[in-house]
Amino acid sequence: MTADAKPDASPVLEVRSLVKRFGGLAAVDDLSFHVRTGEIFAIIGPNGAGKTTTLNLLSGLLIPTAGRIHLSGREIQHLPSFERTHLGLGRAFQVVQPFPEMTVRENVQVGALFGTPGIDRAEGDRRTDAALERTGLTRIAGQSAEELTLLQEKRLEIARALATDPTVLMLDEVMAGLRPGEARQAVELVRDVRESGVTIVFIEHVMPVVRDLADRVLVMDHGRFLAEGSYTEVTADPAVIEAYLGRDDDGTGDEDPDRDDREDPR
Amino acid sequence: MSPNVRNRLRDLIPVLLFAVALWFLPDLLRSWSGRASVSYLSLVTNGLGLAVLALSWDILARTGQLSLAHAAFYGAGAYVTAILARLEVGPLWLGIPAAGAFAVLLALGLGVVTLRLKGIYFAIATLAFTEVLRSAVRQLPTSFAGGSAGMNVAPLFRPAFDPETMERWEIAFLRNEGYFLLYAGLLLLTIGLSLWTRRSRLRPAFTAVRTNEEVAGVMGVHPARMKLLAFALSSLSVGMLGAIHAHRVGSVIPEGAFAVSTTVFALVTPIFGGLYTTLGPILGAGVLAGIEETLKRNLADGYLIGYGLVLVLSILFMPRGIVGMVRGIARRRRAARAGVTSEGGEA
Repeated sequence: MTADAKPDASPVLEVRSLVKRFGGLAAVDDLSFHVRTGEIFAIIGPNGAGKTTTLNLLSGLLIPTAGRIHLSGREIQHLPSFERTHLGLGRAFQVVQPFPEMTVRENVQVGALFGTPGIDRAEGDRRTDAALERTGLTRIAGQSAEELTLLQEKRLEIARALATDPTVLMLDEVMAGLRPGEARQAVELVRDVRESGVTIVFIEHVMPVVRDLADRVLVMDHGRFLAEGSYTEVTADPAVIEAYLGRDDDGTGDEDPDRDDREDPR
Repeated sequence: MSPNVRNRLRDLIPVLLFAVALWFLPDLLRSWSGRASVSYLSLVTNGLGLAVLALSWDILARTGQLSLAHAAFYGAGAYVTAILARLEVGPLWLGIPAAGAFAVLLALGLGVVTLRLKGIYFAIATLAFTEVLRSAVRQLPTSFAGGSAGMNVAPLFRPAFDPETMERWEIAFLRNEGYFLLYAGLLLLTIGLSLWTRRSRLRPAFTAVRTNEEVAGVMGVHPARMKLLAFALSSLSVGMLGAIHAHRVGSVIPEGAFAVSTTVFALVTPIFGGLYTTLGPILGAGVLAGIEETLKRNLADGYLIGYGLVLVLSILFMPRGIVGMVRGIARRRRAARAGVTSEGGEA
């Protein structure tokens, strides 16, 4: 499927003038962008830029104050989460939240059995096994999801989302807190998923990962669109440099993938 | 044999054995204890009723909905069959499925309203629902539902006395046997519903909704559908239980049919036996019914204090119930056996 893996011009995900206000504060403010079929699309920005809020709006955990979201041409901003998942929008969370009472396999099974409507049990089991295999979790499939290492938790997060059979997979800081070797494995996994024809949207603080993975990068600041382009283009943009360096906050141009981002409030 | 078939057999065999045991129990009791079997049968029937109450409550709890509305469905079931019997529409037994169906409708209505409520807010709303229903029944026209004085309910079984072949007490025995078998059938139905939610894809869905509803949604689970389904399954059994019980005791009054104690027993028993399992609530019902009866015989007045003490101690020392405790012991044994060789980092 290498032909599909190359970005194609048609947008699979389109966001138009998206707004989310909490009280008086606009966490996402008139944001527009589109993601092309088959590409790896990164969303970056300083802490508090509204990246996770944007993903929450996309996956239906938040309902936008205004604006539209189209997935494969269908308007989805008013749909509940499960319907967006059925339409092919998968999501892995930043703060990993496996279902603790279930085994690794059962966790993945939830996505496999319910991610696509009308799937039968046997097909659900096949998808579960495939997702476990792909993320290297087969060996610990019977283990309780409570007793995993951070890397295993991140893999489970991705496995669950993959099991829903997404056309667009959204990853929220999956590299955060991983050691350099682990992050490299995770990068390989994301590439491999893209090769199979899945479009990827990811939020990342670890800049080398963004540089290695992203076809295009969207930079957000204060909930707004700041810049968009290739990694080289956006990192050369004076506005982006200003946003990252012009203020005193952390999470800036993070060159150290070893840093533990787990405590990040966003 | 596929693993599915094997799993199904693993469920089916104990259930069948249980059913066979229940089927023969009345006759065994009669031949062992003669006349005393009348009251024994009645005690066992109470235990079965408690098991239905507990197991049906547990089915709902599996989706994270800790309901205080069980007495509402129980009472509604009792009143449906009582009113149908008074209006003399159709045969008496029809009141039982009608009670189940009505309880399901009520539960769906309550479920829709409380969908967005969590934890304590959900609990209070369901408790309020019970109170509202009780007041509403009391306000119904006396000619229709008996008002606060309640109404009589015709018995389902009227065994005929034959002086040639029977002793007097055997009438009571036959009547109790009839109710016993009805309760047993209802428990088997509830076990069937419970096993269905544990063995089908409902199990991961219910657990997902209980542990994290938002993530469950992102995984494609329809949380509202799962919660309402659990409500419907749960209320079906309780509604029918309330109806059969009304026929068994021969009357209904609002204070009794919608008693808070029904709700309390419905939630205490599965917690005692082991939540989110099929065996736990049944085991809990058996043990609690046994303890209650023993205390009643030996303590007469103070038995409720003893009963409360047992519950407090059990929550303190086995917070995961009987089933959880037994599983914990089994796991520690296995770990001890395996742990000799490996260094086992996790406690």
